[in-house]
Amino acid sequence: MEQVVNGVLVVNTETIPGKMITETLGVVSGSTVRAKHLGKDIFAGLKNIVGGELSQYTELLQESRQEAVGRMVADAMSLGATAVVNVRFATSAITAGAAELFAYGTAVKYE
Amino acid sequence: MAAEFPLVLVILGLCLGPLLLLALVGTLWSFAYPFVFLWGMFTSGGKLDNMIEETNIRERSTRESLGKDPLTTIDGGFRSEISEAGLVYASGVFGPSHWHLLIARFNNLFGGSVTIFQKVISAGRAEVMQRLRENAKADGWDEVINVRIDTADMTPQGMPGGVKGVEVFAYGTGIRYS
Repeated sequence: MEQVVNGVLVVNTETIPGKMITETLGVVSGSTVRAKHLGKDIFAGLKNIVGGELSQYTELLQESRQEAVGRMVADAMSLGATAVVNVRFATSAITAGAAELFAYGTAVKYE
Repeated sequence: MAAEFPLVLVILGLCLGPLLLLALVGTLWSFAYPFVFLWGMFTSGGKLDNMIEETNIRERSTRESLGKDPLTTIDGGFRSEISEAGLVYASGVFGPSHWHLLIARFNNLFGGSVTIFQKVISAGRAEVMQRLRENAKADGWDEVINVRIDTADMTPQGMPGGVKGVEVFAYGTGIRYS
């Protein structure tokens, strides 16, 4: 939930509000596939009968998303970027209890 | 010979033990499932209504404390008095109960709108948007611009018995006025 990840600014707008972009460095991305252990899958399956929020999977996706954003930022840092703009997310379920999270954006330098 | 006989039993036990255990669990579950299903049938509707009500109360209190909705879908490029910006997001996975799935199957039979799914998903979406407002408030953002809402199906393809769920994910750029 931090606005600056390892010193790199991350926003999902095309420009950085209040700042000037001086140089674009290309597309950076990060992805991760994570799964919960069987116990939590079974518990989620039981909870599914009654309906409502499946907090095990909420937690799983939250962790995965943080990891994907972290990898995207690491990619941006290797290009020497100071910010990532226009960040987009994509989610897909591969098998039961495993999800692929993908984050991508444009690495830029700003003043 | 006397020593061999138990050895055979041990090997047989090791091979069949897990299978027997699995069969036992399966049998017990097939007896327990109707009761769990009935319990879900009586409680899931009320649970959903409670969730909608609770989200509404939290949403109202946020609106009252700020005087307006802090979320906007527009890109704030026209603003100049912004000092800081950063990503803010919230998510949740919501699923219909098995009773709701049964109702939906009947609805599908006759066509028309499947209101029960619409209710589950819109309740989830309202909840996640409220979480986004709360996250933005916790991080100290004055407003969240360029809000996007993604909905991803968590049900894997080709697994009809799997967990049925929809992931709602909302993200935007938090801004702070200078």
